[in-house]
Amino acid sequence: MAEYFGTAVEDIFNTMEERFIPEGTHGVDATIGYNISGEGGGNWKVTLKEGTLKVERLDAEVTGCAVTLNAEAETFVGVTLGKIDAGEAFSGGKIRVDGDITILVNVLPKAFRQFTPVIWARDILATVRERFRPEKAEGVNMKIGYDLSGEGGGQWTVVVKDQTCDLKEVLDDDCTVVMRMEAPVFVDLNQGKLDGATAFTSGKVKIDGDIGAAGQTASLFEKYVAEGAAEEKGEELISLKCVPSINQRYATGPAVGRWFDGLKEKKFYASKCPNCERTLVPPREICAECRVRCNEFVEVGPEGTVTLIDVVYYASPDPLTGKIRETPYTALFMVLDGASRDESFAHDLNPKDIDRIKPGMKVRPVWAEKRTGSYKDLLYFEIAD
Amino acid sequence: MKRVAVCAVAQHKCDSNIWQKRFQGMLLDVLEDIKEQTGMNFSEEGGVKSIVSASDDVFDARTISDNGMTDVLGAHYREEEKMAQEGLNGLGYAMSVILSGHEDAVYVAGHCKESQGESRNMCTNLSYDPFYGRAMGLDYTNVAALQARAYMEKSGLTEEQLAKVVVRAREWAAKNPYANATKQVELGEVMYSPMLCDPIRTMHAYPVSDGAVGFLLASEEKAHEFTDNPVWLTGFGCCMDSYFLGDRDLASNFALKRAAARAYKMAGITDVRKSVNLVEVMDCFAYQQPMWLEGLGFCGDGEGGQFIDDEGPAKYNVNLSGGMLAGNPVMTGGLYRAAEAVLQLMGKAGDHQAADVNCAVAQSTTGGAGQFHTVLVLEK
Repeated sequence: MAEYFGTAVEDIFNTMEERFIPEGTHGVDATIGYNISGEGGGNWKVTLKEGTLKVERLDAEVTGCAVTLNAEAETFVGVTLGKIDAGEAFSGGKIRVDGDITILVNVLPKAFRQFTPVIWARDILATVRERFRPEKAEGVNMKIGYDLSGEGGGQWTVVVKDQTCDLKEVLDDDCTVVMRMEAPVFVDLNQGKLDGATAFTSGKVKIDGDIGAAGQTASLFEKYVAEGAAEEKGEELISLKCVPSINQRYATGPAVGRWFDGLKEKKFYASKCPNCERTLVPPREICAECRVRCNEFVEVGPEGTVTLIDVVYYASPDPLTGKIRETPYTALFMVLDGASRDESFAHDLNPKDIDRIKPGMKVRPVWAEKRTGSYKDLLYFEIAD
Repeated sequence: MKRVAVCAVAQHKCDSNIWQKRFQGMLLDVLEDIKEQTGMNFSEEGGVKSIVSASDDVFDARTISDNGMTDVLGAHYREEEKMAQEGLNGLGYAMSVILSGHEDAVYVAGHCKESQGESRNMCTNLSYDPFYGRAMGLDYTNVAALQARAYMEKSGLTEEQLAKVVVRAREWAAKNPYANATKQVELGEVMYSPMLCDPIRTMHAYPVSDGAVGFLLASEEKAHEFTDNPVWLTGFGCCMDSYFLGDRDLASNFALKRAAARAYKMAGITDVRKSVNLVEVMDCFAYQQPMWLEGLGFCGDGEGGQFIDDEGPAKYNVNLSGGMLAGNPVMTGGLYRAAEAVLQLMGKAGDHQAADVNCAVAQSTTGGAGQFHTVLVLEK
């Protein structure tokens, strides 16, 4: 089973049941598809409906869900564990989302507790040397045996001598004390999920040998902290996610106002510098070069000649609608007919023309049927054949 | 020592809702005004090549907002620096440009359109840390109330004295063509105006305001090209106090006293009460006028309340512009103060011109409850 960052894709889906928070899904009725490609990948369909959860593994690509997430196995695991930045993976095209992305952003965090990778007894014991505190071990000379049964179990001896610490993957015969328990109990004890005294009195832990020595072990080692969580817990770092937002009422001013007015009538207006006579598209109140106010407007276009083309492949939200833009999209720079030669203007290109567009080509505007004086009045430009 | 001259100032009339203009539009008006007064140009040969702008990205709702207004600053193809503190500090920037000999003329312009955002308190709430201060709902208004309470305890400042400050501010504002709140009010109206955050009442707070201010500064040698009536910037000082409110004695005026001492030292002022005959303080809230005057040394510690009753503000020609209480946007509160001081020293203050003014102080503050203070000394 392929693992990434010590975790398999399956682990994430197999733990959904136990991480599920029914009360977090009030009023939710959504299906989420996961198409995870690459080694260890697969197809899952997750159905959330009013406090219930259904996780299904499918044999073929999931379709027809309210939202579907497509990613490589490594990316998917990395993002789930917080090892890969979700925003970057998304904008870098490593995660592709079809459908209503708000389900992933708004519903999932309320519906599930964070996935945490499985920790094995072996992982914990492997850190015993670095967690050893020599200053607490003055005059201490003992061997602590661990006899752990069940999945992930094994036998180990921790040797403390002359203020040093060593780990052996065998149970020595001459241990000062041997602690016997199921491996998951050992893991829970080390993670603070289970209290040591309770575990002993309830019989989950059996101690052979010097019980006093068993009690002493805790002070000889720093507390175990899972990898990745180490820094955060050590320095008590917390991150807060929130969106500071203050509604704005932007003014167009007279020049840009004239531009939007023109769009309503399918007209492009430029402001014209009274000094150098260049045209500014969209219009501005001042010619930056001559530093004089431009009060005259002239009509330009409607067709233009392409100067520069920029094709964008990463996803980003459209601030006017809040929706994720279709990719790829194009910022098309052009000089509108009648505009001065160096003053190009940018707008979208009809996606169907992306493969054919070249500098020097003539383009024409395609207008929205209903025009209200906004950016969206102009759908895009397209090649004028 | 080299001297720095103010050759001209331009103020956009303040208003609570300049919806028809972009903030760039206000700056364009100011730029044209200065050009008309002085013939300022930006040519490579002898023109202004250094520009300092003052603005706040959150109020503008734009990242590095000065980059989007090079045209209206005259800054196209020139050097430009943004001052993110209140704009009076932009004059300090510009002074250092000239005193160092780097350039001999600097255009300074500041703007702020408080009405663009839904709430200016939400904008200033963002100046606090996201975990604690913002969560508590701190902003410049309610933080000022903490200081008002502390200062009223210390100085014995009364509701009636606060009301006197507001009434007087409106009287002067009515004579200032650039002021916002000019409606005349009576003591009782102020004293019983609704409580914003105890002890600050609605009429104790400056109104939401939009505006822009421009200055042309030049070296002594260059100034005559633009004016035969320069005003000299002879002292500048600023001081930052602790960000954490709990670390500060809010009634102490600590930062203002430091800033003032630095400015006075540079200007060679030893007794401010003898040397200075016009003061413009940035009183966003009524209690700040006596408090800042105290910090500037015009009355003794804790005597701000009595100073109001003793007609101290009249004696020192305090806020003949109407002050902040008459409505200037917060990021240019000090620039408007300095602009008024310049007009007074030039003898161009019109209906509210004071007699025999030769040395003025302009003060500004940025940050909650006067965290950062700036003091400028101007002379004829």
